[in-house]
Amino acid sequence: MSAIVELGLPCPYATDGEIAAINLESARRSAWTRFAQDAQRPGVAEAVTHNERQAAQFLGDLDALDRLETLASHFSSMNSSFHAALVEAEVASAAHRFDEARGHLARAALMGAPREAIERQTLAIDQACGTNLDAVLGARRRMAASGRLDDLVPLGALLADLERFTEAAAIYRQALSSYDDVSPFPLAWVCFQLGVLWGELVPVPDPTLAACWYRRAIGYVPGYVKARVHLAEVHASQGRADKAEALLLPAISSRDPEVNWRLADVLTEQGRFEDAETRLAAARSGFDQLLARHLLAFADHGAEFYAASGNDRQRALELARINVANRPTRRAVRQAHAIAAIANEDAKLPA
Amino acid sequence: MSDHVDGPRQIGDPAADLTDFFAFTSPENPGRTVLAMCVFPYAGENAIFSNVIDYSIAVRRVTVAGIGNAAKFQPVDDEIRFSFRFETLKRDAAGEALQRGVCKLPDGRELPFTVNDEAGASSPEGDVRVFAGLRCDPFYIGLDTATLKPVPNQLQHNNVLGMVVEFDTRRMLDLAKGTLFGAIAETIPPQQKTRIVPPVARVDWVGRPEQTNVRLNNPGLSNIDDIRDLWNQQTPFAIPKQLQPMFLDRLKASFAEWDMHDGKVDWTPEALDTNANVFLDDFLLFDLDKPINDQSHLEIEKSTIEGRPYRTGGGRTVDANVFDILLTWLVNRDREFLQGGATGATKPGTKTFPYFATPNTELQTIVESVELAADADTVWPLISQFGGEWNSQLARVDLIGTGVGQLRKTKTLDGKEFIDRLDAIDNVKRLFRYTNIAGIPASNCTGTLKVAPKGSGSVVEWRMQFVGAAGVRGRLSPLLKTGLESLTFRFGGPK
Repeated sequence: MSAIVELGLPCPYATDGEIAAINLESARRSAWTRFAQDAQRPGVAEAVTHNERQAAQFLGDLDALDRLETLASHFSSMNSSFHAALVEAEVASAAHRFDEARGHLARAALMGAPREAIERQTLAIDQACGTNLDAVLGARRRMAASGRLDDLVPLGALLADLERFTEAAAIYRQALSSYDDVSPFPLAWVCFQLGVLWGELVPVPDPTLAACWYRRAIGYVPGYVKARVHLAEVHASQGRADKAEALLLPAISSRDPEVNWRLADVLTEQGRFEDAETRLAAARSGFDQLLARHLLAFADHGAEFYAASGNDRQRALELARINVANRPTRRAVRQAHAIAAIANEDAKLPA
Repeated sequence: MSDHVDGPRQIGDPAADLTDFFAFTSPENPGRTVLAMCVFPYAGENAIFSNVIDYSIAVRRVTVAGIGNAAKFQPVDDEIRFSFRFETLKRDAAGEALQRGVCKLPDGRELPFTVNDEAGASSPEGDVRVFAGLRCDPFYIGLDTATLKPVPNQLQHNNVLGMVVEFDTRRMLDLAKGTLFGAIAETIPPQQKTRIVPPVARVDWVGRPEQTNVRLNNPGLSNIDDIRDLWNQQTPFAIPKQLQPMFLDRLKASFAEWDMHDGKVDWTPEALDTNANVFLDDFLLFDLDKPINDQSHLEIEKSTIEGRPYRTGGGRTVDANVFDILLTWLVNRDREFLQGGATGATKPGTKTFPYFATPNTELQTIVESVELAADADTVWPLISQFGGEWNSQLARVDLIGTGVGQLRKTKTLDGKEFIDRLDAIDNVKRLFRYTNIAGIPASNCTGTLKVAPKGSGSVVEWRMQFVGAAGVRGRLSPLLKTGLESLTFRFGGPK
C-alpha cells in the first residue's frame, strides 16, 4: 500500500504500482486481442488507444506510438464512421501532429461525432499548442467544477503554462485530495506535475521540493520513466551521481533514449568515460530512431539532447524551430531562443 | 454485458471492476455451496488482484414478502461475509512474481492461499475451500441487443480474475431458519483519509447479472443520463429511500422499452411495475433446499411475479445462459426463448473445484519451413537481412536504425502493416530473433528465422510464438508459408 506522508500532505492509498503496471500491460494486450477479433466492436479501438497512451505516459513505452498508428490505420480502413476519425485524431494528437488531428476532428464533426468528444480533443490540442488560451482556461475551469482529478490536472497544467504557479499548485493539491479511485496512475501524474512545477517552471526552482514530488510519483508507479529521469537530473545537479545512476539503471529497458542520455551524463561525472560513450551512442541512436518515426512528438526532447550532450547545436536549432512551428507555446519559444543563442555563439567561433 | 465495464469509474482500475457473481450447489458435493465472483474484464495473461481492494461477498437470509403484482423479497439485516484480500507481489526462488491472499470467513477464521494455485486452499477443518486466479470468462453473450439476432459470443477467448469460496452448507448457514438467501459481491476501496468530501464506499457491486448495463442503462433508451456509477456506489440491500424513485423510474422505462423490442406487448403496466420493484432489490436469490441448475437462474423471481410458488433454487451456475434467460423474460415474458448465437463460454465450467475453466492463455506456435538446393552459407546472407526483401509477400519495407534494436515497418501485398524489432542476430548459428510490436493482434509475439544445413542444401525455418485468439494462426500461417516458398525461385527446391 502506498501511503507516503511527505510535505505534510498525506497522499491517497492506491493499488501497488508494480501490480498496476502489470495490469495495464495485461489490459493493453487483451484490448489488442479483442480488436483483432472484431475491430468494429464498439469501444474496442478506444480501449486500445486509452491503454496505449497510458503505457506511453507512465511506463515509458515509446513503441506505443507505433502501435497507435497501426491501430488508426487498421481501424480507418475498416470503419467509415466518426469513431475512426476520432481515433485517428487522438493518435495524431498523441504524436503531436496537431494540424492533422484538427483535420480528423473536422471530418469527425461532419460525420456526426458528438460535440463533447470533438470539444474535448480540440481543447487538449489548443492547450498543447498554446492557442486560444483564454477560451481554453474558461473551459478548463468549467470542467474542473466536477472536482474530478482528470478534470483538475489539465487545469493545473494550463495555469502552470500561464505562469500562475501558486494557483496551479493549489489545483494539483485539490486533485490529490479529490481522488477516490484506486489506480495509482492519476496520482503519479499529479505528483509528477508538481515536481515539474517546482523544479522547472517556477522562476526560482526548488530542486529539493521537486525531488520530493518526483519521489512520490515513483512511489506510486515505480516504473514511471519520466519521473525517474527528472529525479535523476535533480540528484545529478546536486552532485549525487550514485543516486541518479541507481534511478536510471532500472529504466533502461524502457528504451527511452533520455534514460541513456542522462545516464551518460552521470557516468561522465563519475569519470567512467568509456561507459558514458556507450550510453551516449545508444541515446543518439535512440533519438535518431524516434525522430525518424515521430519527428513532431520528440522534436523538443531531441532539441534538448542535441543542444547538450548530443553536441549538434545546428540539429538542435532545427528541431527547436520545428517544435515552435508545430506548437508555439511559451516554453517552446523559450527553448528555441536559448538554443539559437548558443548556436549563434558556435557560428561565431573560428572554423 | 453482465457487469463488465459498467460505468466510467470502472475503467480506472480494472482489478476493481466486478464482472459477475455466482451462487450454486457444488457439483462435487451436494452438501456444499459455492459462491464466486469475477473481476477484471478482458484480463490479459498476467492480470493480478489489487492489494488495496477488499473483494467481498455478503449473504443475507431472505423471505418472500409478497407474490404476484405485490412480489417482494425481504432480506434480513444480519449478513455473513466472505472477504478476499491480496498482498503486493513477492518473488519465488526462481524470481517469478507470485501473489498471496487471504480469505476472511464469516466466523473470523482466515484462510491463506496463493493466487493461481489450481488446488486452492482448504481450512484445517475441511469445511471451506477457496481459490483465486485467472480463469476463462464464464460469461457469454450471443444476442445483438438492438435486433435480438444471434451473433457469436462477444467474449470469446476472454479471461477474468475469479474468486471462489466453497463451504459446507449446514455448518456455515443455519438452514433451519430458512433456505432462501440473497447475496451480492462488492469491491471496497480503502477509506482515504485525504478526501475533502465523503469517501467512496465501494467501486462496484453486483447482485443479479445485467443490473447496470441492461436494466438501468438500457441502450435502447435515448437521451438518458448514465447512472451506473451512482448505482454502484449505493449500499447493497439498502438503496436510500430518496434515490429509490429515480432508480425505479429508470427500471420501469427500461422494462417498457425491452417489452417492445419484438414489437409485441407482453407485459401489463402493473406487471412492468412489479418487475421494476423486484429488480430494484438487486441481490442474487438462491434457495438451498431446491435444485440449482443451468436453467434455474431467475426462476424464483419469475414464478413469484407470476403468482406461483417457485420450484428451483434459482441462483446462478457457471454455465447458465443468463443473458438469454433475462432478455427472454423482459422481451416476451418467456413466451419464446431468445436463443443467442452462443450456448456457452469459450470453455465450459468444470464439474470440479474451482469450477471456472482454465484461462485462454495457451502459447501458440507456428512453424513453417522450406528446403532449398543452395547451401546454408549461400542462403544466410540474404535471410539475415532483417528487411526481408526476399519475401515476395511484402509490398514495402522501411528500416529504421541499424543492428539490434532496428525497426522494420512492412506492408504486405494485401495491405497489412507490421512493425517488428530485431532482438538478436547470430551469424554463427545463422538465426535472428525479432519481436512484433504492432500489426499482429496477439501478445508476446516473437519470431525466429533460422537457416540450417540439410544434405548439400539447406532448410529455412520460420517460427512464430504468441498468445492470442485462434484466428491469428489462420492469418499468419499462409503469410509465412508463401513467403518462404518464394525462396525456391531464387535458390531452387530440394534436390
